[in-house]
Amino acid sequence: MKAVVLAAGEGMRLRPLTRTRPKPMLPIGNQPLLEHVLEAGREAGIDEFVFVVGYKRERIQSHFGDGDDWDVDIEYAVQETQLGTGHALLQAEPYINGSFIALNGDRIVEPSAISAVMRERRETGSPVMAVTRHRNPENYGVVELDGQRVRSIEEKPPAHTVKTDYINAGVYGLGASTFDEIRETDADGELAITTVLQAYRDALRPVRFDGLWLDVSYHWDILAVNSRMLDRTESSRAETASIHERATVVDGAAIAADVRIRPGATVLPGTSLGENVEIGSNAVLSNCVVLADATVDDGAVVRDCVVGENATVGANTTIEGGDTDVVVDGSVHSDVRLGGVVGDNTALGGNVTVSPGTVIGNDATVESGTIVSDWIENDAIVRRG
Amino acid sequence: MCGIIGYLGSADALPILRDGLSNLEYRGYDSAGIALGGDTVEVYKRAGELSALTEVLPETSTATMGIGHTRWSTHGEPTDANAHPHTNESGDVAVVHNGIIENYDALRSVLTERGHTFASDTDTEVVPHLLEEELESGRNLVDAVSAVVEKLEGNFALGVVAAGHDGIVATRRGNPLVLGYAEHGAFIASDVPAFVEHTRRVSYPEEGDVIHLTESEVSVYADGEAVSREIQEIEWDAEAAEKGGYKHYMLKEIHEQPTALRQAISGRIDEVKGEVDLEIDLPAEYLNSLAEIQFVACGTSYHAALYAADLLEEYADVRSSAEIASEYEFRGGRDPWRTLVVAVTQSGETADTLSALRRAKRAGARTLAVTNTLGSTVTREVDDTVFIRAGPEIGVAATKTFCSQVATLALLCVYVGRARGAMSSGDARALLSDLRGLPGAVQQVLDREEQVCVAAEEYGDGDAFFFIGRRLGAPVALEGALKLKEISYDHAEGFAAGELKHGPLALVTSETPVLAVLTGGSNAPETLNNVKEVESRGAPVIGCASDDVDAEKFVDEVFDVSDLGELEPLVANVYFQLFSYYVADLQGRSIDKPRNLAKSVTVE
Repeated sequence: MKAVVLAAGEGMRLRPLTRTRPKPMLPIGNQPLLEHVLEAGREAGIDEFVFVVGYKRERIQSHFGDGDDWDVDIEYAVQETQLGTGHALLQAEPYINGSFIALNGDRIVEPSAISAVMRERRETGSPVMAVTRHRNPENYGVVELDGQRVRSIEEKPPAHTVKTDYINAGVYGLGASTFDEIRETDADGELAITTVLQAYRDALRPVRFDGLWLDVSYHWDILAVNSRMLDRTESSRAETASIHERATVVDGAAIAADVRIRPGATVLPGTSLGENVEIGSNAVLSNCVVLADATVDDGAVVRDCVVGENATVGANTTIEGGDTDVVVDGSVHSDVRLGGVVGDNTALGGNVTVSPGTVIGNDATVESGTIVSDWIENDAIVRRG
Repeated sequence: MCGIIGYLGSADALPILRDGLSNLEYRGYDSAGIALGGDTVEVYKRAGELSALTEVLPETSTATMGIGHTRWSTHGEPTDANAHPHTNESGDVAVVHNGIIENYDALRSVLTERGHTFASDTDTEVVPHLLEEELESGRNLVDAVSAVVEKLEGNFALGVVAAGHDGIVATRRGNPLVLGYAEHGAFIASDVPAFVEHTRRVSYPEEGDVIHLTESEVSVYADGEAVSREIQEIEWDAEAAEKGGYKHYMLKEIHEQPTALRQAISGRIDEVKGEVDLEIDLPAEYLNSLAEIQFVACGTSYHAALYAADLLEEYADVRSSAEIASEYEFRGGRDPWRTLVVAVTQSGETADTLSALRRAKRAGARTLAVTNTLGSTVTREVDDTVFIRAGPEIGVAATKTFCSQVATLALLCVYVGRARGAMSSGDARALLSDLRGLPGAVQQVLDREEQVCVAAEEYGDGDAFFFIGRRLGAPVALEGALKLKEISYDHAEGFAAGELKHGPLALVTSETPVLAVLTGGSNAPETLNNVKEVESRGAPVIGCASDDVDAEKFVDEVFDVSDLGELEPLVANVYFQLFSYYVADLQGRSIDKPRNLAKSVTVE
């Protein structure tokens, strides 16, 4: 069975990180979310993938190529404009005949969920949807079940109306007829797969699973999911990384190729350092995701922070970390753990203090000795005084 | 990665296998071979590109079955002996293999004890010897292959022919293999492009399947039982898959530059000490005694050499020059004992460069190669080799290899500069730190692709294009013009910016866009004066500029280059690559295979 992986989405809530890469390319344990999805699919026995790509697709294509590095075949279908998951799926039609699995490219899911859906699809020939329990079902597609039937699927309903913990896990077993059904479903603008499945829900078979299912909606989720994945996997430390004998790096940290960690630096749990990252002498990093080519200079303290690609955190700069309240799209998220986000190519000077929850855009310059908080735009120059 | 192919049918096998291998070249091309089967088995194989093999292949052959192999090694020497197909001593059994046989060492010693002699260093060669034993015990070829596979550990796709045995036998475990069904015969191959010109009907064997191609049919066996595997019609463009979603290899390779650059510098830099390890053996006394470094190269590699020569004079305090290889002679006034000649060639097979190198060797100079291709001819002829590690480049227009060449040559500059005591550890650290920053800076350019695409639409219909730059910007101007002309067929020229007023300015009109390098390392303030000259004649100006250059006033379109010292012109070059690509693409040009051009020029 082939797998169609939906990876065309942008992930606007994760800006500025998603201004240069699509959400499926956000790194968790130094691997893009999409690579975790691909590996789960492969473990479930899938070796042919169709990636539906769109927004910033070059990032995906350059990373995965034709799939040889993973011993799978990857073909690319392009969704030029983002018109919903149903429309995205339709772009894969030329590459599919017969039954297939559809997956979200930005959700980490356990291989067993995929193989359970494959099995159910093979046995019944009906459309299949994996469902799982979630603490906050109202943030997702809430699925009301009636034995082995699906009574309703409702996208992000008001919390007080939710009567079940089950949500759509974004793993589907479908057939070629799905494409006709997508075409036949009326849509104003965006068309979601779930709208189509809802219309044909009499035949829809839910597959329940309790296992790993991780979503990255907000910046702090990147840190939480990263930390969780590091706990689950064996520590990865590239051979070409150079860690000074007087640096302290905990076992659980993920260290990619050509990372340099200077004398006296301390890398604490929950931290992933991408390729070619440099950590200066006596710097301290805790619960951080540092993207490729970034530099953390001598003596900087960086906690609970996402540091963008090719960004620089200057000497003795402090990103103090901890719990804080963050406003996203007008709603307040209380007590989330986010020290800050430093955008791609952004340079923080020396002795900068970054208040918890600060999000700094891409290509910004923050001069030495400043104190920054809240939201700082792309290309901004923050001066002292 | 390697590629295998096999054909059996009613047509002549030789041209089919040769074309098939050329379609598999993306999987590697540092050695290749073909075995033609039938009553006897004829093996032809050579290290080097497919063209090297073509030279030893017969003009024609009546054989209608055979197997072939093309290879890109990442470890070990590609030599004639190590090229596939591999045979037993008598040459009756020939095998092509993609993958790794992990227990070959143990098998090899057992076979040696039993009297087999080995001709190569490969893991593959155990297979024909094992097969020979099975065939001698009276098994047919299918059973023999099944029996041998039992003894192998590791991953493989294998193709086998044996004299006097019917057909081709193939099998796979962990490596790809696809069967093709054409009207005139059947195929096995690592990938569909190998035979897509002949058929789009394919099937995919499962793990452990043994396949037997005969004149009458294609049989597939799983655990000794005949099975059938579903035949599918391929609808997609097979080549498209190899391009990983990109429209052209060139665009794919432009986007691979951050990765290629990380590879180029990986493990070679010690920033703390300001030192470089290139795994070469140039004694410090020799480097100290050097009076001159001459680079010999052609085309894009020549532009990389120009860049390097400037860096070496600046930082390594040694007279350096880049010479066009076809014009090179070891001329008077220099001492061969104190001259290092560095050949820069992507393929390692460029005839002009090889011949220049030989002239230098005859004169008695020490030689060094900077190349992308392990085991290529140049590596066998020089005293030392530094690899640029860019990975295979398929697009004829060199992109990522230029970037990787310059990065590698900058490492060489630090290596030589430090050994000569000309470069302080502080200066070395600064340049090395810029090299570390290069992948990120190039990625930043790639993230602005849209801006370049729009500029190409706006300025792409110019009558001619002029590229200008000074110092390190001058070779980049030449390279930008070369890229544009070779893929778009538009008239493009590159100049040292100061030369503009000595002639070419006469050609500048409002219909001739001028592209300028206005970055660090390129004397930008002076080039800005030249920009004013063309701007006042109405020419549209596109400038790659760093922050500290006040370009906006005189430049119509500014491409931002981030702060990266002497490497900023190299980053600007990535904008030129993208600009050239989009200008050519808007005109629907054959970007990966421009007319009249070949990837590696093996004639003088």
